[in-house]
Amino acid sequence: MDPIWWIIILVVILVVFFLLIYWGFYNKIIRTENRIDNSWAQIDVQLRRRADLIPNLMEAVKGYMKHERTVLENVTKARAALMKAKTPQENIDADNMLTGALKTLFAVAENYPDLKANQNFLQLQDELTHTEDKIAYSRQHFNDSVLSYNNTIETFPGNIFARRMGKKTREMLQIPEAAREVPKVKF
Amino acid sequence: MAEKLLIEDHIRKNKLDTVIICTLMALLFLGVVFAFGYIFFGNIYIALLFGIPIAIAYVAVTYSFSVKTVLSAAKARPANPHVREEKIFMYKVEEMALAAGLPTPKTYVQDSDNINAFATGKKPEDAVICVTTGALRKLDKDELEGVMGHEMSHILNRDILIATVTIAVVGTIALIAEILFYSMFWGGAGRGRGRNEGNAILIAIAILFVILAPIFSRLTYLAISRRREYLADSNGAYLTRNPEGLAKALEKIKNDHPSGKPKGSKTVAPLYIANPFKSQSLNSIWSTHPPVDERIKRLRSM
Repeated sequence: MDPIWWIIILVVILVVFFLLIYWGFYNKIIRTENRIDNSWAQIDVQLRRRADLIPNLMEAVKGYMKHERTVLENVTKARAALMKAKTPQENIDADNMLTGALKTLFAVAENYPDLKANQNFLQLQDELTHTEDKIAYSRQHFNDSVLSYNNTIETFPGNIFARRMGKKTREMLQIPEAAREVPKVKF
Repeated sequence: MAEKLLIEDHIRKNKLDTVIICTLMALLFLGVVFAFGYIFFGNIYIALLFGIPIAIAYVAVTYSFSVKTVLSAAKARPANPHVREEKIFMYKVEEMALAAGLPTPKTYVQDSDNINAFATGKKPEDAVICVTTGALRKLDKDELEGVMGHEMSHILNRDILIATVTIAVVGTIALIAEILFYSMFWGGAGRGRGRNEGNAILIAIAILFVILAPIFSRLTYLAISRRREYLADSNGAYLTRNPEGLAKALEKIKNDHPSGKPKGSKTVAPLYIANPFKSQSLNSIWSTHPPVDERIKRLRSM
């Protein structure tokens, strides 16, 4: 066979090889990007769910905690901030505020035996703690997804394809130090 | 951050080990089929023609019935959301599913005093997580979360698929070996040997190989099973970001002396988080699970 044919075959193989790699990376980048968006949607769902539960909680504790105005007001304020928040980081910050306010509320609730015996309150407390955990885990999954996305588009050879596709690294959600502290309760 | 990377390293190492062991298993299977063909027909291709379809059919049948079989063997019932303990279990499963980015599995409960749990399901979309009522009663929230993280990792890693496929391959290898024994007993083997009379030694080696293969494949399967447990431990710790929860749960399992015998059949034992039938500290190549102490040690080193 003519040597020119060998060269043509070699070039075709190389091109196919390159296209296959490109195909793989294209799909991987799109997939991880969708995963980030989906995990944000999950966080959003949980945040809304939590905001919806607050009025019920307020209703349940109102009768018992008449003298804890500031505690109740803080929860309401945090909820209002959460409803107003637009960017992911604003949402997370407002949610952290709400977490702190709720922690104080539940700590104060320990002083009201009647309230603690209330089935409705217990159920709400369980569900709010659960939503809080769900938010934490969704946030963790969001950050995991961002990490794997950033790793894909920043390391070789993914970075070459990512640049062609015009993809930029995403921001992880920051969790402020204050949110990790146990709120102080004054009596 | 350093801690997290360490857990990821564990996961990577475990994955590599599993790949090596699975390759070994595949080679063993091919080897048996070749040896069988060589002894029986003096021709390896005829055996391949039969061996591969039989193996695939066997895997497919076992696979399609797996979830129902396991749930009824364990005598499990759906979790009751009106019981607070079971509601919290459902919550924890939901949380772990979010952490893993998977759809929430169905939740089942097994009425038993043991502390145990298992996951099953062909793919994440129809996965099931089942715990014993003993576990719900005796484990605190962090420990339960650790156990759920472990089970969620089994689903995430497609361990059910791997377990089903390896069990089926082990079964097929044993089947082939058995056919060979019978045929040799009745003098049926060696029909094709006319052409290969000079290869008596080769045939002897092939026979020996087929005799030993079932033992090797069983051991390989057990090694895979133990690997998957370590992998699920480290993956689970990665999901909860809290290896101590699972470590404490395993400690409780180790020190627990349940009243009454464990329920369910022995065939589902490899699925559980800890083997409900055998003594826990036994470190044997015949056990489905790694020793609990070693698992606790690894978790605490993360």
